[in-house]
Amino acid sequence: MANQSPLPAVLGSDTLVHVFDEPTILHADLDAFYASVEQMLDPRLRGRPILVGGGIVVAASYEARRFGVRAPMPVRDALALCPDAIVVDGHFDQYLELSSRVMEILESVTPVVEQISVDEAFLDVAGSVHLLGRPSEMARVLRRRVREEVGLPLSIGIASTKFLAKIASARAKPDGLLVVPPGREFEFLHPLPVEAMWGVGRVTSRKLRRLGIETVADLAALGPDVLVPVLGPHAAHHLTSLARNRDPRPVHGGRRAGSVGSQTALGRGLTSVEEMRVVVLGIADRVGRRLRAKGRMGSKLTLRARFPGPRSVSRSCSLPGPTASTATLYEIGMSLLTRALEASDGEPVTLIGMSVSGLRTDQVLQLALDVDDAVGPGNTKDQKRRLLDSSVDAIRERFGRDLLKLGRSARGDDSFRRLSEKS
Amino acid sequence: MTGTDEEITIQTEMEVEALEEGQTVVPGRLLSEAVRKMPAGMVTLGATGTEVEIQGNGPRFSLRPLNVEEFPLQPETTDEGVEIDGEMFTEAINQVTVAASMDSARPILTGVLFDSSDQGLRMVATDSYRLAKRELPGVQIDGSGLVPARGLRELPRSIGSSTMKVQMREREAVFSSDRGRMRLRLIDGNFPKYESVLPDSYPNQVVVDKEELLEALGRVTLVAEDHIPVRFKVTEGGVEVSVSRQDVGGETEHLGGQFNGAEEEVTIAFNPRYLQDGVSVLTGDKVRIRLIDGFKASIIDNGDDSEFLYLLMPVRV
Repeated sequence: MANQSPLPAVLGSDTLVHVFDEPTILHADLDAFYASVEQMLDPRLRGRPILVGGGIVVAASYEARRFGVRAPMPVRDALALCPDAIVVDGHFDQYLELSSRVMEILESVTPVVEQISVDEAFLDVAGSVHLLGRPSEMARVLRRRVREEVGLPLSIGIASTKFLAKIASARAKPDGLLVVPPGREFEFLHPLPVEAMWGVGRVTSRKLRRLGIETVADLAALGPDVLVPVLGPHAAHHLTSLARNRDPRPVHGGRRAGSVGSQTALGRGLTSVEEMRVVVLGIADRVGRRLRAKGRMGSKLTLRARFPGPRSVSRSCSLPGPTASTATLYEIGMSLLTRALEASDGEPVTLIGMSVSGLRTDQVLQLALDVDDAVGPGNTKDQKRRLLDSSVDAIRERFGRDLLKLGRSARGDDSFRRLSEKS
Repeated sequence: MTGTDEEITIQTEMEVEALEEGQTVVPGRLLSEAVRKMPAGMVTLGATGTEVEIQGNGPRFSLRPLNVEEFPLQPETTDEGVEIDGEMFTEAINQVTVAASMDSARPILTGVLFDSSDQGLRMVATDSYRLAKRELPGVQIDGSGLVPARGLRELPRSIGSSTMKVQMREREAVFSSDRGRMRLRLIDGNFPKYESVLPDSYPNQVVVDKEELLEALGRVTLVAEDHIPVRFKVTEGGVEVSVSRQDVGGETEHLGGQFNGAEEEVTIAFNPRYLQDGVSVLTGDKVRIRLIDGFKASIIDNGDDSEFLYLLMPVRV
């Protein structure tokens, strides 16, 4: 039967799906991502039409979309449609940073997360339902956490295939959740206009409408043979399959990231090493926490400092052994920053980024003798740091990330957040 | 002939038929490779200010010389020093240098401590994961110092001989033999206080056959490359050696041995390469492994020799 929804290829998943009668493929999509970030960073922009971009609109807030503004379109045309829109340059460094924080939250419910762009990802939660319950419940938790911890609206579609989940999340926007129940896929899919389908752009849409195809149901009923002369054999079969909800593509998750990193943009820039210290500590804290959450540690650290121009200087160093310790990453990060600053003439630093590579499991640790007073991989001091980190992680896990702050970042947090909010 | 990278300097002398006296500086690697690739027989060496010529039985190399004035000044050296049995010294060097660090970021750990006392000479090296200590009783050298392991590793091959001389100076150690002389610049800094890391007593020990253990480790390392540890479960009948790796598979085997212990069984994991390094430089045909528990240093020696020990930190799994 055509409407038999393909189940995720995970052993035993069909029984679990039947327990809850909910599909397990999620498509999570941040709403008007760039524009939402701008509104989060500057409260004055909230509720107002925003255009991100210089000459071309790369993103528009929902308030602007109401006037018919779409990305991409020349800013001039957009302003003609929506004269009150505020044009902002965009904080591209922030986008990547926030995106990775969102992906991190998504990874908290399943390792099977396939990120397909900066603001969207597929998840297959079939393996998590016995631990975390209904997929729709997981989706609610994810939406709430992204809202509370990152400050951004996330829409999620849940369905039995990737294709349908993606359509569902688009229909759920803004800031919504939509579940397509198994067995009712066509009820949801077929009345939709063909343009709702992934891969049907303006050109294809025009060709289809010329054939009298307006809805997905029309497409499904027609079959590929009629479409082949118009769209070519590949697209014809592909679209027909999707219209009949045949999408066997699995979620490609579990990608073992080759590195874990984070960066902070510093607005017009910092010149004081003391202030940069706070930034490096904040980054080390995030990178360390992410590594530990993944059960990884790394043996190579790279620091990037950006100067106006823009000009970037990277410095890296191989560690004598792998680490995921916040304090160690901070110390080595500071020595790399000092080396990076040697390459500048006291220019302000506008961005600092750090990434750890050479990753391996943290389940195995070569212990070391205490040959000196320094912290060496595997020695007593290093093990104490590991213990401290895991206590901090546990407390934050339980009471929220903001409860415990590192000494320097507690003091400096506001100042550098303020700086990063200025454009 | 003198070659140097400023930390390591090697000098040798050879008899030549000299037509004219002089000095020149030639790129070292190129010269040695050139000579190695020439046909067997005599070579002649000639130098002008702009060219060094090497020829023999056909081929003729013409190399651009480097400036003699820029070559580091060589101090006058006399082959004084304390005589030492060359074979024993080579054995001691091989035993301790395996434990020295290769990481230039931790310079002190790249050295071998030459610690002389009334009892004799003690050589110690550690990279913080293992520590090797060799006693040479009765060898009385003047002074102590931290000698670069990188140079010592070259020593047996370059100037090793049946009788050698050792001389500790303020800034360098000088080793000499009938094959030449090696000068190693001492490393600045204080070597770790290693005595305090050596445990006083070990409640458990097991003795196994050295060849059997090395063969077992050879099989284990087929699976356990990188940083995958090998597990030892030590009980009454000997040691169960096992390794497993999620994406590859595993290997298990049993080594017969004598166990004396306070515990019924002790489980411990090691980096197999570090263990191999230590076991392969033991003399004799037995290996004694002394253990406290799975988290503390263990000591490996041959059971009846108090002159060499290899301390190895475990891997926590």
